Amino acid sequence: MTKSTYGPADARGIWVYLEHQEGQLEGVSLELLRQGRELADALQTSLTGLLLGYALGELPRLAVACGADVVLTADHPALQLYCTDAYTRAVTAMVQDGKPDVLLLGATPNGRDLAGRLAVRLRTGLTADCTGLSIDAARRLLRGDVVGFGGGIVATILCPEHRPQMATVRPGIFGQPEQHFDRQGDVRSFPVEPDPADARVRVLERSVSEGVDLTRAGAIVAVGRGARGDMAVLERLAELLHAEIGGTRVAADFGWIERERQIGQTGVVTAPSLVICCGISGAIHFTVGVDKAECVVAINTDPDAPIFEHADYCIVDDMFAVLPHLVEELAKAGALAG
Amino acid sequence: MVSEYTRTGRKKLWFDLMNDAGVVVEDGDIVVLNDEAFDRVMAATNGHAAACFQCGTCSATCPWGLVRPEPVIIRHMVREAQLGVPGWTEALWLCTTCGQCTAHCPRGIDISSVVLGLRSIAASDGHAPAGLPTLMWNLHWDGNPYGRPPSERSNWMAGLNVKEFAAGDEILLYLGCTANYDTRIQKVARALMQIFDAAGVRFGVLKDQEPCCGDAARTAGHTGFADEIAANGSKLFRTLGVEKVVAISPHCLDQFVHHFDMPEAFRALHYTQYLRELMEAGRLNITGEMPLKVTFHDPCYLGRQGGDYESPRQVLSGINGVELVEMAHNREDALCCGGGGGRMWLETPASERFADIRVAEARETGAEIIGTACPHCVSCLEDGVAGDANLRVADVAELVAWALAKPAAVEAGVTP
Amino acid sequence: MSELHTIVCMKVVPMPEEVRVNQETMVLDRANARSIFNPPDMNALEMALKLKEQHGGSVSVLSMGPPFFEQYLRLTLCMGADHVYLLSDRAFGAADTLGTSRTLAAAIEKIGRYDLVLCGEESSDGATAQVPPGIAEWLDLPQVTYALEAELDPFNRRMRAKREIKGGHELLLVHLPAVASVKMGANEPRFLDWSLRPWGERADLVTVWALADLPVDLEEVGVAGSATIVDGVRQSKSPERRREMISGGAEAEARELFERIKHYLREQ
Repeated sequence: MTKSTYGPADARGIWVYLEHQEGQLEGVSLELLRQGRELADALQTSLTGLLLGYALGELPRLAVACGADVVLTADHPALQLYCTDAYTRAVTAMVQDGKPDVLLLGATPNGRDLAGRLAVRLRTGLTADCTGLSIDAARRLLRGDVVGFGGGIVATILCPEHRPQMATVRPGIFGQPEQHFDRQGDVRSFPVEPDPADARVRVLERSVSEGVDLTRAGAIVAVGRGARGDMAVLERLAELLHAEIGGTRVAADFGWIERERQIGQTGVVTAPSLVICCGISGAIHFTVGVDKAECVVAINTDPDAPIFEHADYCIVDDMFAVLPHLVEELAKAGALAG
Repeated sequence: MVSEYTRTGRKKLWFDLMNDAGVVVEDGDIVVLNDEAFDRVMAATNGHAAACFQCGTCSATCPWGLVRPEPVIIRHMVREAQLGVPGWTEALWLCTTCGQCTAHCPRGIDISSVVLGLRSIAASDGHAPAGLPTLMWNLHWDGNPYGRPPSERSNWMAGLNVKEFAAGDEILLYLGCTANYDTRIQKVARALMQIFDAAGVRFGVLKDQEPCCGDAARTAGHTGFADEIAANGSKLFRTLGVEKVVAISPHCLDQFVHHFDMPEAFRALHYTQYLRELMEAGRLNITGEMPLKVTFHDPCYLGRQGGDYESPRQVLSGINGVELVEMAHNREDALCCGGGGGRMWLETPASERFADIRVAEARETGAEIIGTACPHCVSCLEDGVAGDANLRVADVAELVAWALAKPAAVEAGVTP
Repeated sequence: MSELHTIVCMKVVPMPEEVRVNQETMVLDRANARSIFNPPDMNALEMALKLKEQHGGSVSVLSMGPPFFEQYLRLTLCMGADHVYLLSDRAFGAADTLGTSRTLAAAIEKIGRYDLVLCGEESSDGATAQVPPGIAEWLDLPQVTYALEAELDPFNRRMRAKREIKGGHELLLVHLPAVASVKMGANEPRFLDWSLRPWGERADLVTVWALADLPVDLEEVGVAGSATIVDGVRQSKSPERRREMISGGAEAEARELFERIKHYLREQ
């Protein structure tokens, strides 16, 4: 059997890899700190955060405030932008030094890029894009719930013999931690050496927009094929509801919404209080993206559309007939509220 | 992008690039046109392209000239294909194969089949508009252009007690992919089956076994694929002993008539033609009155391509109270709805939809109903009519079924 | 440089909507599910075929799976691929991504003389996205995950790749040989070329390898080469929804809907 470099007997501690941008910790990293704290408490062990980058500033203190007992930092100009080779090397060194029991990363593009390579370098198991994490205390094992087959199946994955037990975690699943800046924690810097071979992948350009994070949206107006690209009334509705606009793969393919607003299995999984699905048929790879909403409304001309199985309020009608009246009601209510 | 490599993998040299442009340079002085591209067009169009004398009547009659500042210039397309000019396929995918051009061509060329021939060249060269390759994959994996599971094809009729076809049945009712998977057209199918029951027709359907007719592949230029679909379909019909098939879509009918390999005795009809037969045989008597002003929109594949303008009109005239009015352009001059030639599967910008013009023509007649007899026409025209309280679209079958079922309601003045 | 050679890793998967969980045995039931190519693998293949059109050379398709994969893989020969390699052996079965990526990497080593390895970003069944970076690590190659576009500079053995990251894009310059995973929808996969059908039938264009043919040991593949196990599956249940119909014409529907959603509206 392929063996990892150390086994369960030598493994201690919950580690979480923390991503950051412009002096802020990524949402999923905050969620990992909160969930990591719970797992560490369940196993009666410590929580360590890993921070790689350049000029990390207040981030280590923030990680402690969010629940980390230890923060390992690798602060070097060569690490300013994410680079697979340099980051894999640095985290491998940290892991081989500290021998954690569990290592969690956010299932962001870079998180999955790093985790996939790390797991092979460490010859260990990696559970992908978890939607649930728990501890089997008796066996000291991490249980990861993963969704497969387009969202129809949930499997529970274990990594019994290999260490660290690795998992990437889907953003937006776990809540955010409270921040207590009076918490005590140990911030340690870890030495890293750049390697000229890392130049085999060089970032020429990087463009990150303000970006919308649908996982944070309290209300969403979602658009599908039925909208035929006519976004005006939907935008007005979103404005009045203080909602974000989201949509199906089809809407993104046609350019009616930006790709980052695509909801579903290969898009964003949202958890708003309210989502209004307009002109969406409701195939399962979309509905998994709205199933966590408190209230789902569906408007579609097709009475047999599967979306109606996943909705609380169902209207079989033309969205362009109904929405203008809804907009009117909302505008009136808004005006009255002053 | 023009490849830098020949088909055999050799990197192109300067004379290959000249060949691509249709020019063969010999001895530095003599320039000879490349026969290969020319021959390819001749072969793909069965020689039809040769008769063109570039008069331009086709461009003048093409409905694209109604929605665009520049019409689609078909004769240019043919010439550019013959010379192998890069970019010749750009306008090729706009054609709905409505046959308006064919109807007016002074040389009698079947221009829409020339377009399909050019499309088969484009397809084998790897040119296709966005969305068409995905459609072909849907057809390949799922046996229908909608990408819906074949096991769900007959789900919609589960509660309807419809019989499966057996040899000896009067007709095979061929529903088609759209009637099975599209909730709007399921209503047409249901109406037709009600009519057959009323007329005592012993018919059967193929349920999940029903194969696609292959029209989507053929209009996309994937002739080999379409031929394989037609060959398999023919084999199935022959094995099952189908002698007479009645189709809901004139596009499916076209495939059966021109591309299926069936014995002499085999007959394929559009359902309006079969209803007319039933009426003439006295088997279908519509007693209910339906006082409605109806204008009939000729589907291109029943009318110009199918050669039948009268059957649907006869059927509608057979409903008491129906007042048939004609649009300004009717029969051979009928304006295409915009859905044929694969256009149903491609997005047409709102400002370029033929159906909007057609609906305006219908309004001028004062009709309350646009009657038609093709699933694509129903979809396109309903899009054009959306929101109009005074004008609706109905398939002929729906009008007949309604007249059969509720004579009492009609008397009370309730319209469908 | 010598001719460009791209290896595309592809997988045949069951159609997601048609997979069920057998409620008694709690095991995945794929018996009634039809099979297709994993969709982003088609995007990877299309990218490889486009690069072949631009630069010449050849495209090899590599897959690990049971013998029935062959009829699907032969379709790639009708799209423009030059050779198919199928890794088929009971020993490879039930592997997690550690074992799978090890096996594929061994095959890529044996195929040899390649410039680029392309994979789909993740498979629609397992959805881990871990095999492409795994392959890159086993082969010690640079990796680009979530690639949208790639341009090659064969003379300098470089690739420029556009990569999707959270909230935006990166443009990377990568030394070849390299591994890239391709985002679903990065391009539109071409359909079969009917004139290439005879190629799809040829015996000499498909190579099937078993464990004994690969430079890898039994302990590194399949279950032995895996680190994770599945401890149970269940059919995912959508939350129970009210499914209340609201009808009565557009105006009335809007009014009633407004009443219903009022208390879900929060001040932002």
